[in-house]
Amino acid sequence: MTEQMLLGVTLLYPELVLIGAALLMLLLARRIRGTRIAPTLTVLAALGAGLLAALGLSAESATGFGGMIVRDSYSQFFEVLIAAALALGALLSWSDEPDEDATPPEYYVLLLLASSGMMLAVSAIDLMTLYLGLELTTICSYVLVGLRVERPAANEAAIKYFLMGSFASALLLFGISLTYGLTGTTDFAGIAAALDGAGTSPLLLVGLGLVTAGLAFKIAAVPFHSWAPDAYQGASSPVAAFMASGPKAAGLAVIGRVTLEAFEHQAEFMSLILISLAALSILVGSLLALSQTDMKRLLAYSSIAHAGYALLGLCAGTAEGATATMTYAFFYVFMTIGAFGVVVALGERGERLDGYRGLAAQRPALAAIMLLFLLALTGIPLTSGFTAKFVVILAAVQAGEVPLALLAVACSIVSAFIYMRVCVLMYMSDPEDDQAPATPPRMVTLALGLAAAVTIVGGILPGILSEWTVFP
Amino acid sequence: MNEYMGIAVCFLLAGGLAGLMVLLAAKLGPKKPSAEKLAPFECGKDPIDIPLGRLAIRFYLIAILFILFDVEVVFLYPWAVVYRELGMLGLVEMSVFLGVLLVGFVYAWDNKALEWK
Repeated sequence: MTEQMLLGVTLLYPELVLIGAALLMLLLARRIRGTRIAPTLTVLAALGAGLLAALGLSAESATGFGGMIVRDSYSQFFEVLIAAALALGALLSWSDEPDEDATPPEYYVLLLLASSGMMLAVSAIDLMTLYLGLELTTICSYVLVGLRVERPAANEAAIKYFLMGSFASALLLFGISLTYGLTGTTDFAGIAAALDGAGTSPLLLVGLGLVTAGLAFKIAAVPFHSWAPDAYQGASSPVAAFMASGPKAAGLAVIGRVTLEAFEHQAEFMSLILISLAALSILVGSLLALSQTDMKRLLAYSSIAHAGYALLGLCAGTAEGATATMTYAFFYVFMTIGAFGVVVALGERGERLDGYRGLAAQRPALAAIMLLFLLALTGIPLTSGFTAKFVVILAAVQAGEVPLALLAVACSIVSAFIYMRVCVLMYMSDPEDDQAPATPPRMVTLALGLAAAVTIVGGILPGILSEWTVFP
Repeated sequence: MNEYMGIAVCFLLAGGLAGLMVLLAAKLGPKKPSAEKLAPFECGKDPIDIPLGRLAIRFYLIAILFILFDVEVVFLYPWAVVYRELGMLGLVEMSVFLGVLLVGFVYAWDNKALEWK
């Protein structure tokens, strides 16, 4: 038994690196205030965890802790992605003058713990570890949103997010308990075995629906989306960037695994739920983004629509479809962090849509990079956004969901209007004040550069991820 | 049905005994009321209050710290019961758990959460 436990620990190296760094920083918190140690350590820990996860990509699948945790190509792929989101999020939080109110060492501790929770959730093959991982992420996110206590908007956002988030967690737990009541196990393989040929009793459908609803909240899919715009708007821009990327990728990974492994024999009902979520998210996200005047709210609704696009891959309930969602999640993380990164780089000015007026004349490079991310979010060819949208819409067509695919394409055209509005403001309007925005910190520029590089490479070499996007 | 009978009897006995004690105390005990004695007792604050008023945040800090130790003890009890069966592995696992909680405690101490000021 001891050897088995030790083997389990070896599957969790990336998580352990993040948790170790977080505990170390918590011990030192009072002594490293006002220094660069916390952000540096966070970026290093993220790189270390990402590297360890990447090493596990080609390793053989293994389960540990009595069938609670798995390490396979799927979990490692998402762990690399989460580590990248953490590293970019920490770089975006960098400021030239260490700002004690906005980013104390505890801020980085929360980023690290939230990421370790996501990694745990994507490795979970048991509903209990899955819940624990997601809850660790969510609880850290509540605090991250409300960290700037002196700002009423942050407090409001944190309270709203907390109340709705706790309710969603309760739904998820209720669904898990119903599933457990019907199958007698929380283990994915065990659930699938127990439900094989079980048909669809009303109680089972309620259980499935509640589990999916709880998970849909985590990726902000309509109709469980209403927290996202408020939370992103109230949170500081780096936190919004982090929340729109990492947790969303982790949530998609979890939905994929639950659909394909635990509820594989209920594929028909699951795909009905997922199709409704996807269609509503794409439609509502795109339409509501049209009327936003706050940049972070606009990007929040855009991220809601993108959650819908990513779900297109999972509707089919096949491994190929999950592969499409993996590709989508990967490119989505980098383009969203990039777009939020430009908001970070512009400071207060970047939070209003009007702040982008005439940006191209004042900061041509920043405007060009924003243009790149907006084109990617629209899904224009030669950006990673096109690659991502292409694979998921293809997956939907192959699954026979042609009307859904048509809706996705139509809403892409609507979303082009949203993103191009920002481009028009940047390139064809006069600046509202003559003062050019300050130069962003070097690390923010670095994060933007990295995100842009991935976005361009993903567009030019669309097959680049195919070796790693494998659903076991 | 029979296996639940014990629980029902236990409820009746416990309820009856507690009710009897309250009744006896109310009937037989001496009564010398004063303003302080008649004030409702609720952890240091008036139970009926305008909710917009300010609350001392210290109570909540102490409550959170209490939860830290409370959860620790809740996990220690079952662990102690099966300690022999778990052997070395159980000891190591519990040390890791206590270590993580200890970090939280050190953090609270270090940041002066234990000083009543």
